[in-house]
Amino acid sequence: MPRKLSQVLPHGVMLAASIVLYWLAAGIDVDTGGRISPAVWPKAVIVIMGLLCAYEIVKRLLARSQFTATGVLSTDPLGVGREAALPLNLPMLFGGIALIAAYVVAVPYTGFFLTTALFLGIFPRIGGMQRPLLCAAIGVAGSLALAVVFMRIAYISLPLGDGAFRALSLALMRAIGVT
Amino acid sequence: MEALSGLAGGFASIFTPVNFMVLWIGLALGMLVAVLPGLTLVMGVVLALPFTYKMGVGPALILLTAMYVAGTYGGAITSIIFRIPGEPMDVPLLWDGYEMTRKGQAALALGWALVAAFAAGIVSSIVMVLLTQPIARLALSFSTPEFFAVVFFGLASVVTLSGASLVNSLISLCLGLLIATVGVDGIYGAERFAFGLPFLQDGLEFLLVMVGAYGIGEVLTRMAVGFAGGAQSQAGDARFKTAFPKWAEIVRMKATFIRGTLVGMLVGIVPGAGATVSSFVAYGIEHQYGKNGKALGTGAPEGIVAAKAAATASVGGAFVPLLAMGIPGSGATAIILAAFLLHGIQPGPQVFVKSPELVHLVFATVFAATIGKCILGYFAIKPLCKVLDAPEAIVSAFVVVFCFVGAFAQRNSLPDLYVMAIFGLLGFLFERFRFPLAPLVLGAILGPLAEGNFMTTMVSFDNDWTVFFTRPVSGVVLALAIAGLLWPVIRAALKHYREFRGGHSPAP
Repeated sequence: MPRKLSQVLPHGVMLAASIVLYWLAAGIDVDTGGRISPAVWPKAVIVIMGLLCAYEIVKRLLARSQFTATGVLSTDPLGVGREAALPLNLPMLFGGIALIAAYVVAVPYTGFFLTTALFLGIFPRIGGMQRPLLCAAIGVAGSLALAVVFMRIAYISLPLGDGAFRALSLALMRAIGVT
Repeated sequence: MEALSGLAGGFASIFTPVNFMVLWIGLALGMLVAVLPGLTLVMGVVLALPFTYKMGVGPALILLTAMYVAGTYGGAITSIIFRIPGEPMDVPLLWDGYEMTRKGQAALALGWALVAAFAAGIVSSIVMVLLTQPIARLALSFSTPEFFAVVFFGLASVVTLSGASLVNSLISLCLGLLIATVGVDGIYGAERFAFGLPFLQDGLEFLLVMVGAYGIGEVLTRMAVGFAGGAQSQAGDARFKTAFPKWAEIVRMKATFIRGTLVGMLVGIVPGAGATVSSFVAYGIEHQYGKNGKALGTGAPEGIVAAKAAATASVGGAFVPLLAMGIPGSGATAIILAAFLLHGIQPGPQVFVKSPELVHLVFATVFAATIGKCILGYFAIKPLCKVLDAPEAIVSAFVVVFCFVGAFAQRNSLPDLYVMAIFGLLGFLFERFRFPLAPLVLGAILGPLAEGNFMTTMVSFDNDWTVFFTRPVSGVVLALAIAGLLWPVIRAALKHYREFRGGHSPAP
């Protein structure tokens, strides 16, 4: 992608989102009897957002201006600036995103304990840990510890899964004393 | 007198066995998250929230408040000893604290940090107690235009005070405000951006936005750079002692203590500007106006005292708008607001009438936690430093699971998990493309309050928007907010103009 276009990509996406959202907001239809409509507030916010995006795109693409107003306090020397400057580790990033997505999707079917054990075991491997046995141990022990903490101590109801996974979760709950 | 007896009741409540234990757990967790690589204070408080779902409101408030108070200190230890700032607020401590360590004065540097944290913590707690109720009484006289103006001021200040591009901050804020409009609106019952989905009709909980953006977003941000720049304690090489400065030295530095505490309180009161901003502003002011200002950066204790006093005092400041008006002054107080709301209590002027014991409990917790964190900070340096050796990949894996539980357990809703994951990705993209997260989150939190007051005003005053500017209090507050928003633009325009003139001026 040309560099100039990549510079305005986030604002372009936000502008497109503003247009779609405005169209959706225009569909909010209520009889208010002459009083202010519930669409006014979101529409105003969307218009401001769209105009800001358009301004930034025009500034970067057409005006080529370096003018940028920043907030009055620069206090993020270790935050955004530092990490945005480091090279991207795409395999690790996409691996992490895929694993988190898989965890969120799988947990209703396979239950908290098993899914968390797998997640805690695989995530450090994706994150660069070289010792598979240690990772596996962390997965099992971590998941068990969290199940005890959340289910037995904090009384939080967590997904048990379906079918055989549900039976496994229930057996585990009995084992750790959750009735 | 009323405040004192209330405070005594708060202390009596803290010293019951369960609450006392919860206080110390909160202190230890707060210290840990401030030290651990890849965990920020706000993230830590977010992750602790699910544990409070089944607690009583008292212990829940004690846990989160203690974490918040302790979290402002832990990072000072690693900044001074290892040059590893646990939190952004601790960065100024590198400039003088670590310099003192290099000169062999690590113990004294830690002593200055501890004294500053203690003194500023106690003073700001007293001011918080004295200030909150009068402001709440004043807020009782406010009508919807004034409330809208105050909320608008808070939203404007988070944009004005951010170090990021003003345009990006405003876009982030707008997105946060839009997130808050999802669901059925409170006045007409109209469905907005819900697409007929039941979980969207209930609205998007701001907790999901916070857990996703701060928790998952931060994990992805760290993963994207391969967990580079992680911390290692080198714990074996260091001396873990704190040596207090002499009383006469402390007295000589009283102006620095006062300046730091005052800045911390004032900045803390402004919504969206928490400990980090306080710390940097106080350091800058000390550099500019301090008697020993020019020596800052070379290992001067004034640099430690100013930054640490301000960061600590911001906690007391941040509680003032939360308790008096229901407007959180920082990310951590936004979570504490959530804890209040989860238990069916709306902080604000009415809480002093309906549940004054909770307000006094929070006050007492801030006092007790300030003392407790200093005790922990003195005695638990070595184990806290050892925590730095935890591999970041493992810590991050547990953070994701805590985020998951935090998002799921509030309503036992699976769609909430998907929403949290989406905001996690959004949080990462925001960090990557330099859109600040704080306006997004504050917009999502304060959006319903802003819109509700705006709409009610318009309905009550026959769609006359000028009422916001013609009423004295709302007019002044809105004018201040607008001036604050315009100031960065004017400043940048003047700088741009000067550079332009400088670049084109003829050679002498």
